[in-house]
Amino acid sequence: MKMIRHHFVAAHLCLVDRRWARSCHAIGFLCAFFLICCVAPRVHATVDDSISFAYEAALPYYKQGFSIRKDAWGGDLGVRERKAVSTQLFKGNTYWFLMATDLKGATLSVHLYDDRGNLVENESWQKGRFAGARLNPKATGTYFAIVQILKSPEDRTAWALVYGYK
Amino acid sequence: MFHDKTLPCEGNFPGFLMKNSPLLFLGFCLSLILPVHADVAPKKIALSDFPAAAVDEVVVPVPSEIFSVLDKLGNPNWKDQLGEGRARTPQDRARTALLLGNIIAEGFVAVEAEDAEKVKDIGRQVLTLADAINVRKSVITRCKSITDKADKGDWKGVRAEFDGALQDVREAMDEMNDHDLSQLVSLGGWLRGTEVLTGIVQNGFSQDGAELLHQPELVNYFDRCIGSMSPRLRKNPLVSHIRDVLRKIGPIVHESGESISPDNVKSIHSLTREVNSQITALGN
Repeated sequence: MKMIRHHFVAAHLCLVDRRWARSCHAIGFLCAFFLICCVAPRVHATVDDSISFAYEAALPYYKQGFSIRKDAWGGDLGVRERKAVSTQLFKGNTYWFLMATDLKGATLSVHLYDDRGNLVENESWQKGRFAGARLNPKATGTYFAIVQILKSPEDRTAWALVYGYK
Repeated sequence: MFHDKTLPCEGNFPGFLMKNSPLLFLGFCLSLILPVHADVAPKKIALSDFPAAAVDEVVVPVPSEIFSVLDKLGNPNWKDQLGEGRARTPQDRARTALLLGNIIAEGFVAVEAEDAEKVKDIGRQVLTLADAINVRKSVITRCKSITDKADKGDWKGVRAEFDGALQDVREAMDEMNDHDLSQLVSLGGWLRGTEVLTGIVQNGFSQDGAELLHQPELVNYFDRCIGSMSPRLRKNPLVSHIRDVLRKIGPIVHESGESISPDNVKSIHSLTREVNSQITALGN
């Protein structure tokens, strides 16, 4: 953060003297660059941290013999905003979908629907920043994991979803 | 209320509730216990309420998901499904990516057949093909593990390594912004997996086995992927042919699982077999 402030002050001083106008453009560009460098990793880190929490939620199922996929899905959502993740599931497998956020004080949910919009999950739970839903599909086909932020201290909340099967 | 008379500002509804309606009282207590943001999932939702931007693309299943079901369906003759020969590394990157996916899927068949030598050979092929598309580094450790675990007969472990190899290769390609090639790896794996699956279902037809082919969104997804590739890749004769094949398979797998007939299984098998033979054909 210190680095951002120093560059901001330098850029501001440059505006006073026209002789430095060209330098100011260069420093302004540098400021923007450093701002991006400092802010962008923070946004990514939030999603990455949410992924870590989602894997943490998946750990008990891994211990029960579920194979947890390395891929994770995530992004950020506003409160009460929903997102659908479409997925191909196979009859004969049992699936656990685990969702999490790294944001303290936020609560979220994940529920599973078939391609006609019927709630099909066999069980689901919600505990603070973690949520999960289990499905033993009655038929092979396309299903939708509907993820939602129920409550959050922030406008946008990073989330991540992983799933396991056995 | 520490006095005998009720003050005007005081109410007596808790007593009223307890005396007159225990159920209402119970409801009142529950409302205190349940959080304000209780998670009650609606029994039905309108999927049309989700605009395209609110829907993440289809999650492509890893081969293990299908093989895990096949394990439960019986003990098919996997050796019959093993491919023969060794494909040469093509110069065409698109074909190399398709072949890499194809070979990884072949690895799963070799695992099911518990053929250690074949598994190790496939591990080496994966490394060679990954090298040809600059993602060798991402699979070196996996390939070594494949060999080690095959020697020990740890088939479950080998299967996990092949799954991991597929995901690592795709991840490495995505990092290099080779998203199109990354999709082709998945597609190549799906095509070989579907050929094997239909081969097994054909040999001992069962509705449960045939139902595994009910993958309409996945077929549409691959079709859309090819549609969004660079014009150069879209015009690649092999890629363009695969798109034609997908469009033939689409209506068949769109039927509900219960009605995929033996004839339809046969059609999908011959379509995928023909296209896979082009992917693995010797020469460029």
